[in-house]
Amino acid sequence: MSGVTGPAAANSSMNRRALAALFVRLGAFAAIGIILLYFAIYARGFTSSYNLQNVVEQSVILTMLAYGMTVVFIGTGTDVQQGGVDLSVAANAGLAGAVFVTLLNLGLPEPLAILAAIFSGMAMGLLNGIAVVLFRIIPLLATLAVMNIATGLELTITGNNVVGASSEFLTMLQFGRFLGISALAWVLIVFTIFVTILVHYSPFGVRLYAVGGFPEAARAAGLNVGFNIYFSYIFSGLCAGIAAVLIVSRLSASTLGTGLHLLPVLAAALLGTVFSRRFVPTIGGTLIASLFVGFLANGFQLLGISSYWVSGVQGALILLVVALTSFAKPAEGG
Amino acid sequence: MDNVKKSIISLEALSNYIVLFAFAAIVVIFSVTTDNFLSLENLYNVVANKVVLLAIVSLGMTIVIAAGGIDLSVGVSVDISGLTFFSLLAAGYSAVLGVGAGLVAALLVGLFNAFLINKLKIDAFLATLGVLFIGSSVQRLATNGGTPITLTTEEYSPIFRAISDSQLFGLPSPVWILVGCSIAVYLLLHKMVFGRFVAVLGAKPGVALYSGVRVPRELSKVFVYCALLCGIAGILLSSQVKSYIPLSGDAFLLDAIGATFIGTALTKDRRPTVIGTLMGVFLLAIMRNGLLLIGWNFFWQQVGIGVLVFVVLALSFGLRRREE
Repeated sequence: MSGVTGPAAANSSMNRRALAALFVRLGAFAAIGIILLYFAIYARGFTSSYNLQNVVEQSVILTMLAYGMTVVFIGTGTDVQQGGVDLSVAANAGLAGAVFVTLLNLGLPEPLAILAAIFSGMAMGLLNGIAVVLFRIIPLLATLAVMNIATGLELTITGNNVVGASSEFLTMLQFGRFLGISALAWVLIVFTIFVTILVHYSPFGVRLYAVGGFPEAARAAGLNVGFNIYFSYIFSGLCAGIAAVLIVSRLSASTLGTGLHLLPVLAAALLGTVFSRRFVPTIGGTLIASLFVGFLANGFQLLGISSYWVSGVQGALILLVVALTSFAKPAEGG
Repeated sequence: MDNVKKSIISLEALSNYIVLFAFAAIVVIFSVTTDNFLSLENLYNVVANKVVLLAIVSLGMTIVIAAGGIDLSVGVSVDISGLTFFSLLAAGYSAVLGVGAGLVAALLVGLFNAFLINKLKIDAFLATLGVLFIGSSVQRLATNGGTPITLTTEEYSPIFRAISDSQLFGLPSPVWILVGCSIAVYLLLHKMVFGRFVAVLGAKPGVALYSGVRVPRELSKVFVYCALLCGIAGILLSSQVKSYIPLSGDAFLLDAIGATFIGTALTKDRRPTVIGTLMGVFLLAIMRNGLLLIGWNFFWQQVGIGVLVFVVLALSFGLRRREE
């Protein structure tokens, strides 16, 4: 590689590292491209518009939850023990789904039930925020406790049963189309644009990155660190609430096991950092990562490879990607 | 002025005993509201059935968290050890060989973690997350999608009885194994040079680096010890239920993290310790047992445990930091 860079870069380790970073990023894109190309050639029906839409629809829920996790990463840092992570996001969506379905079946008007679901998600997010900001509990632990509470409440509300629900709105979400694109995909598109503007193109987003990147510096610069952390967790709760409505529309029911999305969500949000220039969490990176995870599972299915392999390949992929980036990242002096 | 300072100091001192208060409160509440909570039989049941396995896994987690990491792959070590043990037994090998191979298999998981962290310089959280994913695939492939391996025939029962049902000096042998593990981890963390490395890694990784500690190398060792302890738990778990159930070890992960961190509330500087972790495990176990005895179902138990952990942590962390 140094042969390509020439003497200009050789005297500066900064340059070399930037080049390595570029290499890793391009490599990550190239790897994804090659894998998708392979599927396109060898997996029959992979490129059909029906299949592509199907994958996107399947990925919507994972992506929404991963957005929540990404915003928490941005606003509170990715350091695992001290920084922020929201372990409760998936369980939170499960609880919001249970709230939604139960209220709907009690005869509450649908808009109110949807609001209640989103409110339930945000309330759990607020609880996370209180635990982290006010009580100064380590985020990993605070969100772990909230996760337990959310799972327990979900079990209590649903009595460990699948609770069905149907309405015109849910059917519309499930089967509706507009300009040839399904309603679920529209939700993802609109929400992605909204989050991207909020995080990447607004002063607010800049402050969020500042607080997550270096809290002490942000505090010294006069930013309200606590507010931004509250915001991150409540936003994550909002994502969970919306995801809950989407889950219910896809399955026509609130089912247990939404909490199992936690690890794929974590993986998508962490994997997404590879697609940014400085290996920080970004909305675009998370979107690519979670869509890729969806395409991977789908391609395997079409190739007839046992689904038992999928999580192993995902794990190997995480390790590969992270090992590559760790060589390109600046050394940590921490 | 003096007065204010005094009250803050007492609040801070109070925060160090939150776990003990919670403990006392739980014991008092449940012994009043139920008949047999304090009975010897019930306590024996709690310790023998609920505490031992989680405690051994949590001891492993304690070493890792003390060094500033998190091991998300504890469940994989637990399961792989049980899987190897049972596969060898079913294939007709002796129990000693099975147990040994199970422990070696768990050790290999730890070595793989160590390799990822030490050689490939992967962040420990991500490395163990990757291993968790791979481990779940390995188990599914090995068991045809998650079919449990059950060995209930006469042939095997003496082996399992010897491992999990036998008694020594009036206590079940798993309890003695736990005692042995606790002493070993205590010596490792609090009496050996390695323990000093672990402590400085956990408290100030930058200082460790500049003091000449080979950070990735020492950090990776931590995961090997943790995996070995999880392997022991895996052997005990599978002999207790007389079957290997794929992915059953994952249930330990979050409880082990919770117990270890509850334990940190015991010490002044919020560091994980062996005693603290054992207290944390015991607190979770008696809380669950007490809620069961007063008739809460499993769902509400989950909520109760979550609230308990939340409150304990809020008090312990919230009161302490006020003083800054």
